[in-house]
Amino acid sequence: MVAKKVAKPIVEVRDLTKAYDKKVAVDGISFDIKKGEIFGILGPNGAGKTTTLEMIETIRSIDSGSITVDGLDVAKQAQAVKYIIGVQPQSPAFMDKVKLTEQLQQLASAYGAKVDGHKLLEEVGLSEKASSYVENLSGGQKQRFSIAASLVHKPKIFFMDEPTTGLDPQARRNLWDLIKETRDKGVTVLLTTHYMEEAELLCDRVAIMDNGKIIALDTPKNLVQQLLKKGFKKAQHVEQANLEDVFIDLTGKELRD
Amino acid sequence: MDLQKAFLPVFTFARIGIRRAFRDKTAIFFVFLFPLIFLFVFGGIFGKNNGVSFKVALINQSNSAFSKQFVDQLGKDKSFKIDSKSNTLDSAKEKMSRSQLDAAIVLPADFGVVKNHQYPSGQAKILYTQNSQSAAQTLQSVLDATFTGINHQLVHADTPFTVTGEQLNTKSLTQFDYTFAGLIGFSIIGLGIFGPVNVFPELKKAGVLRRLHTTPLRVWQYFVANVLSQAVIGLCSMVLMFVVAMTVFHLKLNGNIAELALYITFGIAMIFGIGMAIGGWAKDQNQAAPLANIVVFPMLFLSGTFFPRFLMPQWLQQVSNYLPLTPVIDGIRLLATEGKHLTQLGPQLGMMLGWTIVVYLIAFRSFRWE
Repeated sequence: MVAKKVAKPIVEVRDLTKAYDKKVAVDGISFDIKKGEIFGILGPNGAGKTTTLEMIETIRSIDSGSITVDGLDVAKQAQAVKYIIGVQPQSPAFMDKVKLTEQLQQLASAYGAKVDGHKLLEEVGLSEKASSYVENLSGGQKQRFSIAASLVHKPKIFFMDEPTTGLDPQARRNLWDLIKETRDKGVTVLLTTHYMEEAELLCDRVAIMDNGKIIALDTPKNLVQQLLKKGFKKAQHVEQANLEDVFIDLTGKELRD
Repeated sequence: MDLQKAFLPVFTFARIGIRRAFRDKTAIFFVFLFPLIFLFVFGGIFGKNNGVSFKVALINQSNSAFSKQFVDQLGKDKSFKIDSKSNTLDSAKEKMSRSQLDAAIVLPADFGVVKNHQYPSGQAKILYTQNSQSAAQTLQSVLDATFTGINHQLVHADTPFTVTGEQLNTKSLTQFDYTFAGLIGFSIIGLGIFGPVNVFPELKKAGVLRRLHTTPLRVWQYFVANVLSQAVIGLCSMVLMFVVAMTVFHLKLNGNIAELALYITFGIAMIFGIGMAIGGWAKDQNQAAPLANIVVFPMLFLSGTFFPRFLMPQWLQQVSNYLPLTPVIDGIRLLATEGKHLTQLGPQLGMMLGWTIVVYLIAFRSFRWE
């Protein structure tokens, strides 16, 4: 066997467990996230995706097991971990009546940094909105701004909880591009979703969770192959396009907001 | 930790917090206009009266020239106000029974009639009810003095002993001065308790605090930033209150303004700690609102917000001495209107320092990001 030089994973989760009032939310899971990949956690509601994410993000206490982020123990070095992670919450979660540039200044200051808000806004195509309030942005703009805000301190790992829920097809595609761009800049991305085509298009590897356990973990392609090997057959009618393709063909890829 | 780095979020959050407050119309109403409304209401009630005045009925049953002259003269006296509408005994009695009048002065039919002497004579009668005994006594001595003067003119007699009153120049408090310190206390409560009690659960609901929790921002940094912005906004509101009180209601500001500003800032910071403790702990409005009311109402009634504490029974005054708002209001009154200095406010400052420590300890321990 040829010894392959493997980079140390940026996130290592070992036997992680969390229970709320005796109800087990996360049940002894272990997985690694490689540096520079987009890692997706899939699963139905209540599977334990968000709880897992929040424990890695340092904002939820760990019952047992361990998490290491870039060599730092999350349970013991939470404050140090916070400097290298960026978190995008499920909802945009911004104060009202605060301009976008002020929002960015404020978040950067929490990391002890000063930023050029206009430049960051330009990167996500929001430079015209610099003096607007978040409440006056469209859904897609909010999500794009939320990404800019979460990356204000140039983190090594970026967490996104259901980033495209509630967005129109154009905004989703735009967000996927932004997420890929972020990955291409060397940021590792960990996201949760329950859109399968999103996971298939976007994620380098996915973990499928159910009832607090990881029941599968591989690249989307391999997971499909494994299913096919088991002799799975879909009702054979190969479509060259689907309704979403029609929608995008008719309405264009241009962002609406 | 690098001190400059540690205070960067404090000042950034404070600066943006202040700007945000001035963009928020609801906040502007509650912080600036709401206290002013109270100021106008209470100023209207207590602002004008300088010196006590009674409302009395004057019933003149005599036709003598002297009685007419006497009635004219009483009308000019500032120590009581004559109700011109009640000129019969029955209507006066009815109004007295409803406490609309304090007393009735009756001049009988023979009042001021010149009888066998060369000068007029007579006896005025003061009618009063159980509730207006002290008013009647004052009225009686006022009339007594008036008659003494008249008697002296009519019958020349030696008066070996006399008494004379002289007004001292030392400043005493008008009722408005008392009320005003209470109103300042009231707006500090609104700003320092009801503000954070509404705002923090709202920020939690929107997930704003949860987002901040994923950053390295420390609770103390967030606290200090909030105290700073709230103190600045509060001072602006107080300046407005003082300016209106001084120009419209003739409040006399006798103290040192810098000391007063410092003291008010301390007061806001301490009271804000109470609001932070409640709002920071509560998961939502339903938890925050009842607790805030439980904490606020005793202070509102016992700390001298709407009525002076000296009107309360002794034991209640003792109890209210220990409420956090009491030293704030007392101190503001002592500094603003009684011309005292911070160095003379040891007990008040001590009490406030004690409460500050207690309140912030609780706030730190019970704070929740979501």
